[in-house]
Amino acid sequence: MLLTLIRRELLDNLMTFRFAAAVLIMLLLVVANTAVLIKDYERRLAAYNTALKTHHQQLWERKTYSGGKLDIARPPNPLSIFNVGLDKQLESETWISHSYVPTLWDADMLGTTNPLLNLFSSIDIVFIFEIVLSLIALIFAYDALAGERERGTLRLVLTHSVSRGQILLAKYISAMICLLVPLLMSLLLAMILLMTSVTISLSLGDFLRIGGIIFSSISYLSVFYLIGMLISAATTRTGTALMLAMFVWGFSVLVYPNVVIAAIAPPQTSQAGMVSTFNQIKQIWEELDRERKHFLANDPVPGEDPSFGMVRSGFAYEYFYEDASVLYYHYGAGAHVLELNEESEPQVPHAQDYYRFLVPRSVDAAERTWLVRKTALDTVFVQPAIVDRILLRFSPVGMYDAATQAWAGTDLSGLRDFFEAARKYRRTVIDYYYDKNAFGSRQWFSADKEMVDWDNLPRFSFQKSDARINAERALPDLLLLLIMNLLLFIVILLVFQRSEV
Amino acid sequence: MWHIAKRELYDNLNSLRFALATVLLFGLMLTNAVVHLREHPVRVQKYHDAITESLNRLRARTDLYEIAQWGPELLHKKPSPLHFCTDGGDIVLPGTIYQSVSRITNDLYTFWYLSYRYRTPNSKNIRPATIKVDWEFVIGYVLSLIAILFTFDSISGERERGTLRLMLANSIPRHTVLLGKFLGALISISAPLTLAVLMNLLIISVSNNVQLDAEAWRRLGIVFFVAVLYLCLFLALGLLVSSRVQQNATSLVILLLIWVSFVVFIPSTLASIASGFSNPMTYDEYRERHDRLYSELGDEYNARLQGTRELPTERMQLTGEYVTKGAARGERLSHERLNQEHAQIQLARSVTRISPVAIVQHLIEAFAGTGFERHRQFVENVQDYAREYREFVGDMDRADPDSPHTIGVREGMSKKPVNPEAVPKFEDRLSLSRDFNTAAVDLLLLVLFFVVFFSGAYLAFVRVEV
Repeated sequence: MLLTLIRRELLDNLMTFRFAAAVLIMLLLVVANTAVLIKDYERRLAAYNTALKTHHQQLWERKTYSGGKLDIARPPNPLSIFNVGLDKQLESETWISHSYVPTLWDADMLGTTNPLLNLFSSIDIVFIFEIVLSLIALIFAYDALAGERERGTLRLVLTHSVSRGQILLAKYISAMICLLVPLLMSLLLAMILLMTSVTISLSLGDFLRIGGIIFSSISYLSVFYLIGMLISAATTRTGTALMLAMFVWGFSVLVYPNVVIAAIAPPQTSQAGMVSTFNQIKQIWEELDRERKHFLANDPVPGEDPSFGMVRSGFAYEYFYEDASVLYYHYGAGAHVLELNEESEPQVPHAQDYYRFLVPRSVDAAERTWLVRKTALDTVFVQPAIVDRILLRFSPVGMYDAATQAWAGTDLSGLRDFFEAARKYRRTVIDYYYDKNAFGSRQWFSADKEMVDWDNLPRFSFQKSDARINAERALPDLLLLLIMNLLLFIVILLVFQRSEV
Repeated sequence: MWHIAKRELYDNLNSLRFALATVLLFGLMLTNAVVHLREHPVRVQKYHDAITESLNRLRARTDLYEIAQWGPELLHKKPSPLHFCTDGGDIVLPGTIYQSVSRITNDLYTFWYLSYRYRTPNSKNIRPATIKVDWEFVIGYVLSLIAILFTFDSISGERERGTLRLMLANSIPRHTVLLGKFLGALISISAPLTLAVLMNLLIISVSNNVQLDAEAWRRLGIVFFVAVLYLCLFLALGLLVSSRVQQNATSLVILLLIWVSFVVFIPSTLASIASGFSNPMTYDEYRERHDRLYSELGDEYNARLQGTRELPTERMQLTGEYVTKGAARGERLSHERLNQEHAQIQLARSVTRISPVAIVQHLIEAFAGTGFERHRQFVENVQDYAREYREFVGDMDRADPDSPHTIGVREGMSKKPVNPEAVPKFEDRLSLSRDFNTAAVDLLLLVLFFVVFFSGAYLAFVRVEV
């Protein structure tokens, strides 16, 4: 019986105009936008490759270890085609040094594209699904029960020995099969476009992630179908059902996410808190400065000159960087001596001692600064963003968006992985310096005898987190979607069981 | 006709959709007003702080050479009082224009020039990306959706119920029926819209923090007119589809798909496609050309300097020449990049005019004084000011008979202290007449869209079988 019902419903649905229109519009939108998105991804990838090349060149132009910073860049995420999230918007170039640990707030943009292009919102595949799939699901669902009730066919069906649950299930299954057609077809076309692009290579993990995105899309679709069905079960006329369905759609897709974010006041950063944290960070570095001066005063060379009176060609620098708005403060020092004259030669060991003393301490200070800074910046910037995202989850759109972002790795945690990787890389580089005994070496500040060989320096490469971790991050939202499905189904069952035909 | 309109009106006023639409419009307009009252004073305060700081720095200089060398400090865009009409993507448009100096040789720097370099203000924002709840959103997205929901069944529904035949049996011409239905729907949507807009303006104008002057009210009037025109356009579209289609459901599906493509997708997708056609100078290319420009200039300067070894006056003139030439070339280069970037956006914006929502967006931006056109106006204002500032330096130097009149070198310029009050000050201006000129095309297009849809609906309804 169930099968007969499903077959009837399927034929009913498949032969309709709305089905053809739904398939057509989905295919058109997804194909057009995927082509645009792939082009955009290629542009960003080109920018990334240029940046890598420049970084490599700049590294080799540096002849001493203290030369300052090592630039690193975040590659664009190919899955941003599905859900761009924060991947494109946040800055993707940063640097590390022994005296500095980067955070999200002091990165730079790979400056290749026209920044004004952000005036046009970028549309990714998940966005199309968010808007169009939900609309199509509601259009399929609004007359599922109300329509049959109006036409009187529902009474006819119920005269047979079918339970009401079976009717619901049959309707649900057949409609989902129909709705999956545009979803899967458009995804298939998108995948074909992705595969034909030479610049995009997808790994096995990426396919798993795409699978996760597809699964989330199906649950999202199902939520909206069930919402439509609930409305249909609760109303007696199709006209009312339709109006309600459209307003529910408009509210949950268009109005709620925008209004809730607008209505929440942007976080008031407590100025006093920021100032006290900034002072705390300043103290760390001032302490370092004191130790440094103390060392210079007590070493055998008179005077407090950090270049020890060496007469040289080349340059040396010493400065404090600061930007109070993002608690950015650190001390950078280094030298780039090209040639030393004879008389300076006896001073070299003193300089070596000085750097052997100073550098490990600034490594340490940088790490302590990072700890203080991270906690403070998290409360100021990250917490409000997390609250926003929790509020967005009151609409299925928010859940779906969060789940797919987590799968694609373009969510906040995915991007913080990059900074975590940068921090780890810094550790590796420092260990490498220790192995080479670089801090106390002559090459730390001078290139007159021997230049630094950068060939053996560990290279930075950002590996995306494992697909398992993506799954863990996506799981809460996915579960929410599934629970919502289940709840809706139970409610529909209850309403339909008790309703009069 | 009025009879039909009245009947439609009563029908609508009692319906569920009217109630829901009214609640939605009021809710959105209320949010908009509250958010504006919260955010606008902060924005204005920030602007005032920024210009005061720039001004103070400018006033601290009295030496003509320093004034000429460092330029007029940061120049800021004045926030529009009508920011609540549309945000206009202000978060991605730079609100400040910087100046740079470039190095020609190791100890020779150019004078200041406008470098248009900026940071994207949005690049540190990790809050979820959403559409701002402003008038543009309410009109562009919500109002058009409501218009569709009010008209999709106006003819096909009557046909389904059979009342259309009944009505046409009376001696009413068909166009009167159509016009009556149109007016009925128009009035029943514009009534809650007008009330919601009035409530919004009431809240905003009652507050002490935001002052709206006569010009602002004129602009608001035009924006409201645009909104009604846009509403008419979607009502006509709804009537057109409704009279062509037999079933309510089909009519709605077609309309919703048209709505989704026109309103949500076409503006962004077409803009992305259109912007792919031009390739403005990238930042890397700019850097490369910039570095090459100055290394060439430096070599040229050094070569010519060799010939003037014993002639201090000529040497000084040469240095001055290169300092100003370097600034002019640097400005030309960054201006070239800026123009290419603007041209790319301009092209993308003209292509998106296929969609009425983009037209409305441009119109509201133009009259609210936000968005891209306003940004270009700001850039032009800055350029005018830069010219004025340079002329001022030249005039001050010419006015001093003791000066050797070699701008670009400290020894070559007037040493008289400059009265800080005399230095021209930058003030960003908005002008309605200019906005109206740029918006005229958009307004015409919108009217054209309406005429096409409405005559389409008329023809379709006149020829349709009942």
